[in-house]
Amino acid sequence: MKSWDELTDDELLAALGEAVAEDRAVDERRRAAAYGAFAWRRVDDELAELLHDSALDAGAAVRSSVAAPRALAFGSTGLTLELEVDGEQVLGEVVAAGGADAGAAPTTVVLQRPDADAATTEVDAAGFFRFDGVTPGPARFVVERGGRSLTTPWVTI
Amino acid sequence: MDTTYPLAVLVPAAREGDQDAWNAIVDRFLPLVGAIVRGHRLSEADGDDVSQTVWLRLVEHLGSLREPDALPGWIRTTTRNECLRVLAARGRTRPVDLLAGTGLDAVEPAVADEQLLAVERRQLLREALAELPEGRRELLLLLLADPPLGYEAISARLGIPIGSIGPTRARALEQLRRTRALRGLGPEPVGVTGDEELG
Repeated sequence: MKSWDELTDDELLAALGEAVAEDRAVDERRRAAAYGAFAWRRVDDELAELLHDSALDAGAAVRSSVAAPRALAFGSTGLTLELEVDGEQVLGEVVAAGGADAGAAPTTVVLQRPDADAATTEVDAAGFFRFDGVTPGPARFVVERGGRSLTTPWVTI
Repeated sequence: MDTTYPLAVLVPAAREGDQDAWNAIVDRFLPLVGAIVRGHRLSEADGDDVSQTVWLRLVEHLGSLREPDALPGWIRTTTRNECLRVLAARGRTRPVDLLAGTGLDAVEPAVADEQLLAVERRQLLREALAELPEGRRELLLLLLADPPLGYEAISARLGIPIGSIGPTRARALEQLRRTRALRGLGPEPVGVTGDEELG
């Protein structure tokens, strides 16, 4: 590809035209949604880290014929959230560090979507929970346990 | 605040909760996100989802983004990764013939490096245009109007004689070549806005 100085004025203007056209072609729906994303700004959330996503595993893209659900894990100090996304069903487990029984403390999980009301569910005594009817799109989970609240990064499911 | 403000101003303002600054960041990088998404040939709906996930993640990430100039790279990487994750996640139910190899390493060449380079160059050109003084930028945009405008209409719009459009166009393009964006110098130092510096 030519350096900028090697381009004639006409070539440079044509290249600029393509760049400007790409700007003008931006989908206004996406723009409005992106503006709206700012409403999710929080300054004091404790954020979990993505520990694992099977969609990032080697070979994930070609394992297309194998009907393995997508597995995700998030964690922060002492608390891990494991998820399995199978169609519109999300199965999850909250694991507390040191083998402490997650079910020992009342724990809830909130599923947040940018375009829908949040859904909340109780984690059972063994640490498991489930959400049904989870349609594709951005989502994040908030684990609330013993006064602590842990938020996962947004992920497209 | 608009897209011509330096990131060193927009990012801290957005971090403090300034919606206009956030919108300016969105306006500046939406075409880049859109181009990367298009390059991965996602469905329209998946493309919408990836785009929105990238912006939601940036909202989260603003607080830990120490270096505003690292933002373009962060957006590029996050968008690519999210595209690959969605392709892999959807692969279960929808064949993805685009991905011939295995794993992320094999996926990368599928979206040709050359194509990404072109995406990158278009972003740099938009950044360069934003650096120009308003009058020059306006002239170039009028010359690129769609549908095209004649010199007469441009002359009337800008209030400059038809005869000076050609020479001004040449000077504007020369100035575009000398912008920090096109010289590969990165953004201008904090506290100096383009118009004051170059006007």
